[in-house]
Amino acid sequence: MRSSSYSALPARALRALVVLALTAGVTAAVPAARAETAAAPPAAPAAPAAPAVAAKPYMGWTSWTMQSSKYPGLNPKGDYSYLSEANVLKQTDAMAAKLKKYGYEYVNIDAGWWMDWSWTSHFDEYGRQKADPVRFPSGMKAVADHIHAKGLKAGIYLPVGLEKGAYGDGKNPIWNAGGCTTADIVYDDLRTTNGWDSAYKIDFSDPCAQKYIDSQARMFADWGYDFLKLDGVGPGSFKSGDNYDNVPDVAAWHQAIEATGRPIHLELSWSLDYGHIADWKKYSNGWRIDTDVECYCNTLVSWENSVDDRWDDAPAWTAHAGPGGWNDLDSLNVGNGEMDGLTKAERQSYATLWAIAKSPLFTGDDLTRLDSYGLKLLTDREVIAINQSDAPPAEPVTASDAQQVWAAKNPDGTYTVALFNLADAPAAVTADWAALGFKGRASVRDVWNKENLGNRTGGITEALPAHGSRLFTVTPRGTRLAWTAHEAEAGTLAGNAVVAGCSACSDGHKVGNLYSGGKVTVEDVVVPSSGTYQVEVAYVSGDPRSVLVSANGGGGTSHRFASTGDWGTVGSVYVPVKLKAGTNTITFDSGTGYAPDIDRIDVPTSL
Amino acid sequence: MNPSPHDPSRRGVLSLATTAGLTAALGALPAFTASAAPADRPDRTTESPLPAGAAREQLWWRAPGDEGSLIEQGLPVGNGRIGALASNDPGHELLLITDATMWTGGLNDTLDQDGQFPYGRADFGSFTLLARLTVDLPDHDLGSVHDYRRTLDLAQGVAGCSYVRSGVTYRREMYASHPDDVIVLHFTQSGGGRHTGSITLTGTHGEKPDSAESFGAALPNGLRYGAAVQARATGGKVTVQGTRIDFAGCQELTVVVCAGTNYAPDAGAGFRDASLDPERLARTKARAAAAVPADALRRTHVADYRALYGRFGLSLGTSTAGQRALDTWERLHARARDDEPDPELEAAYLQFGRYLMISGSRDSLPLGLQGLWLDGNDPDWMGDYHTDINIQMNYWMADRTGLSACFDALADYCLAQLPAWTDVTRRRFGDPRNRFRNTSGRTAGWAVAFSTNPYGGSGWWWHPAGNAWLCTTLWEHYEYTGSREYLKKIYPLLKGACEFWEARLLPVTLPGTSKEVLVDDHDWSPEHGPQDARGITYAQEVVWTLFGHYCTAAAALGRDTRYADTVAALRRKLYLPEVSPTTGWLQEWMSPDNLGETEHRHLSPLINLFPGDRIRPDGSTPKDVVAGATALLTARGMENFGWANAWRGACWARLKNAENAYRLIANNLRPSTDGRNGTASNLFDIYEAERGRGIFQIDANFGTPAAMVEMLLYSRPGHIELLPALPDAWAAAGHLEGVPARGGFEVDLRWRDGRPTHVTVRSVGGRTTTVAHGSTTRQITLRPGASVTLKGFGR
Repeated sequence: MRSSSYSALPARALRALVVLALTAGVTAAVPAARAETAAAPPAAPAAPAAPAVAAKPYMGWTSWTMQSSKYPGLNPKGDYSYLSEANVLKQTDAMAAKLKKYGYEYVNIDAGWWMDWSWTSHFDEYGRQKADPVRFPSGMKAVADHIHAKGLKAGIYLPVGLEKGAYGDGKNPIWNAGGCTTADIVYDDLRTTNGWDSAYKIDFSDPCAQKYIDSQARMFADWGYDFLKLDGVGPGSFKSGDNYDNVPDVAAWHQAIEATGRPIHLELSWSLDYGHIADWKKYSNGWRIDTDVECYCNTLVSWENSVDDRWDDAPAWTAHAGPGGWNDLDSLNVGNGEMDGLTKAERQSYATLWAIAKSPLFTGDDLTRLDSYGLKLLTDREVIAINQSDAPPAEPVTASDAQQVWAAKNPDGTYTVALFNLADAPAAVTADWAALGFKGRASVRDVWNKENLGNRTGGITEALPAHGSRLFTVTPRGTRLAWTAHEAEAGTLAGNAVVAGCSACSDGHKVGNLYSGGKVTVEDVVVPSSGTYQVEVAYVSGDPRSVLVSANGGGGTSHRFASTGDWGTVGSVYVPVKLKAGTNTITFDSGTGYAPDIDRIDVPTSL
Repeated sequence: MNPSPHDPSRRGVLSLATTAGLTAALGALPAFTASAAPADRPDRTTESPLPAGAAREQLWWRAPGDEGSLIEQGLPVGNGRIGALASNDPGHELLLITDATMWTGGLNDTLDQDGQFPYGRADFGSFTLLARLTVDLPDHDLGSVHDYRRTLDLAQGVAGCSYVRSGVTYRREMYASHPDDVIVLHFTQSGGGRHTGSITLTGTHGEKPDSAESFGAALPNGLRYGAAVQARATGGKVTVQGTRIDFAGCQELTVVVCAGTNYAPDAGAGFRDASLDPERLARTKARAAAAVPADALRRTHVADYRALYGRFGLSLGTSTAGQRALDTWERLHARARDDEPDPELEAAYLQFGRYLMISGSRDSLPLGLQGLWLDGNDPDWMGDYHTDINIQMNYWMADRTGLSACFDALADYCLAQLPAWTDVTRRRFGDPRNRFRNTSGRTAGWAVAFSTNPYGGSGWWWHPAGNAWLCTTLWEHYEYTGSREYLKKIYPLLKGACEFWEARLLPVTLPGTSKEVLVDDHDWSPEHGPQDARGITYAQEVVWTLFGHYCTAAAALGRDTRYADTVAALRRKLYLPEVSPTTGWLQEWMSPDNLGETEHRHLSPLINLFPGDRIRPDGSTPKDVVAGATALLTARGMENFGWANAWRGACWARLKNAENAYRLIANNLRPSTDGRNGTASNLFDIYEAERGRGIFQIDANFGTPAAMVEMLLYSRPGHIELLPALPDAWAAAGHLEGVPARGGFEVDLRWRDGRPTHVTVRSVGGRTTTVAHGSTTRQITLRPGASVTLKGFGR
């Protein structure tokens, strides 16, 4: 049954507009912000209208997390056997009872719905995946109906490509495509594709190919599914090269979904290639930026494998998230306590990053066994509001060191500010207001603790446990800082350093080749008084790199800069530099390693 | 004008008190014994609490530690016998508790196939934890509190933290009281807050807890141990719930812990006090202390602590407001990054060493590789006593910084071990498999290996010269204190070491001459180069010093005149090192060649540059020897780790190279991150054992302060030199108060622009000495107790 809330309007045209607007906004906003005050991350321009699908990061549940775990008792019938009709219905009921009122709505069935307990696939006579009658005795439509009856939305899953088991010697007919068979839709050499090479690559030069995708989409639409996770998609999924270029598959799915008339959210997985972000944005509603968060171990996840990778990987993608398509950090498994495999502090940090990065908030926890702390983390209305707000995703405003600060400027002029301590031991972390673009006082609300802390001058410091976090809403009460720009290319180069062209950089140039002792010294940095200044550094780096920053020839402090995604994109963070009154030099030294390219620095004109 | 903030009469009283303490300690009591009823102890002061130490004597931080970071972030407390590392986490206070005698292992006198000692945790043994105390306050989770601040008040000997939760300021303090023989935790609040949570006290060796308030057990070696806890609250309720103590709604909470073992420093009794039930004694002491009001416990502790801490003061200059605004960890980073002196931090680092000494070395076993502080039961090198630099370095600063009373633990230890050391040496040193045995076939006296434990046991390889270095270290304490009683006490150690060397020294004829000299037999210069070298410089130098001390001791005590003559004759025949014509270095082996690692951590051949006095840049030593020592020290380099840097610093101070000495101190103050060499957040010295794994080695925490004092005041009996190696960083202005000098004096010294402006010398037993600064020299003669203020050094 189609829910009345579904719009029949195709979302695609709107999406394209939004994407264009966002792209333009980002491109234009960065230099503009720099020229003026270079303060906080630029706010995303207001979307002209909310898209029908993924207007906000979606919220829900996935079956994969428990399927993938070796936690005792979860998968009694063999690997991945958690996925069953009974378990999906149980989680649906729990979500409806506990989480729906906070905005959670998608119940997503992941891999295996068409496989038996020993992971053998079933296909119908048209080469389409068919529910395993033991796993899902009532069939997939009945499950979707149950989910809808609870006022929720249903998600389903497919690997990209023509699964090998669907090929049937090339003789399987394609549904509703007179004369087409599976032989027509693949290459003659049966080249394989996807992250597991479990499918034949589909040749979309044959019109039968689109028909096959159409037939799958039609099937899901008929069953009433609202969400499809397309998995193993490349470039990405640890694959590259022509055989793993699944952009045509994704485009075909986009077209097929549109043709169904049903608004089905299309989510791409996993570790999607950053270089194809334009394609992912054009054709899908979300893309997994990284590998699985699950540890495939005795718990659901673990901090090192791979929750903590997100702090490194998310920053480059930040600019690309927005209504219609979001950066998917993967499932949020903070609700079960011991089974999650995380400390309380780690659970809060995990929830904080996902919320502020505007990742979809879908958990893989057992919703029937949420502990009170987990329920609090998953249902904090202020935190969810930050995730679902119109503000842009937060990004690091400091270097990506063990202690780091992320922030986003909200449309109302406040800032969402998160402190993180990624070190293995407790540490103090300070958010300096200068890194938000102002000085003086600001009133601070501690979001998780529901506590207004009053006005704080200059910044706020908190003691954080190992892997811990704080989340604040900061309302500036001070004055905006002014900044003086210094182009790196005007500095003094040493070692291998060279000035290179850079279309995204201010003045069209940057300093590159900063490796093995290469360095650049920015001269004539004049400040009125001695002290520690938050210097904004605009840089370009295709991977995370560290650089030694020093002033006046003194000892350097090593700072790690997050990847900007590629060697043509500029990012910026603030680093503390101790300067003396008068004229200073600031040096970026690669030391013995490889440093990011430096575009320019902006130095506050006052403390 | 008397520039000292100390009232001179008060100092006099303290000196007397210390002397009395020294006498009492001579009759070394078992480590863990009953004490006077706490409530009416005579030392229970009724004075109001002393004001908190000045900011420059407070270390502070903005983050607590946790279980995984206690070595870098735990704050140490200790009463000289029991100690703990504390996390100061608001929601989860954790103390890992030690007793200095909590050792596995035993006599370890069955040699391995190579004639050397086993070195494992079961046979040789290891220093281990005794107990683990947690105080959980679930509502005070670190993630829910603000404005966290943690302090270590060096002037009072009190650690603690404060934080704000829901508008209420909570404070907690902790310290280990020597008078009450307990660790005290005191939780308070202002603003209507309450403490609710639970306390657990458990062992770390698989004990089965059956009580919340105490436990007792025995190690496989038979050592019995026990611990007890008591909690008292104002307001609210304290209840025992099985193996937990719960507290609810308490305005204030006091938690008192006592722990101990039945170790006894008595080889004849197998190092056990069979009559002692440690759990029962711990319960008795914990109950007694818990009956005393918290403020009285604190006052008593602070007064006791101040009596030691207050004997010495220093200023190395003034730090900037910017430096003062930083917490201790940031300050270490800033100091290293900017390479700018931070004189108050540097002085606080020295005072932290004194805090550790007062906390770690009283009335029990001496400080080993990690002092009294562990974060687990498998400390590297067993947390043992290493006799080829580490235990000696631990005690270099005791007398130099007015903590002579803390030195007794080392002397008492050696004395208690002597019967076992002598016995094992007699039975085992001559083992034909021992490559270090005496060619003469005779064995006498006593020797130890590179490692020693508290059960008379040695570990790893024999270390022939270790006995001599222990003795010269013990001797220096005599030079500072002049105590005849103490000299009598250590005399058997000196004599036994001389007997060992009398049997060991080999006569050889120097090539190309007819001169016969005595040399050390097959030996290893610590810890590099050949293992069968004869006449290693280290042994020749330290035995030369030992023999000299012995002769002085025998004369002073009027004993063994003929044997002293024998020793004096041996000393005259001892070979002393030459300068290599090849390298220009003082030779480490009887060879012109460099047979070891150029930048090796040990400075063994320079043992008589520091801590010994034979090599002096004052014209009394042949110039080529001074030059050779300088060249060797130069070759050893400036970039090493903790204790190696500290030793280098002290040597450069002796050579009056202030800037090199200061550089080495600065190197040790570099913040240790990711386990690298340097100073941890809690100021513990960290040695990078392997990439990414730093371990705590306390020796640099003591050796660095010793080097700092050497830069400011050099002394040997009859001679005091002011500011011998004052670096530019400290030259502007500073002072020392109560700095002891060898020969039986104490000095107060102020300086400005690099020159002494006020010098007072007090006799604490010494009679005559010269006092020098640069080329200015004064000769003074004082009665014991008298003092003189010297003028004219400033011009």
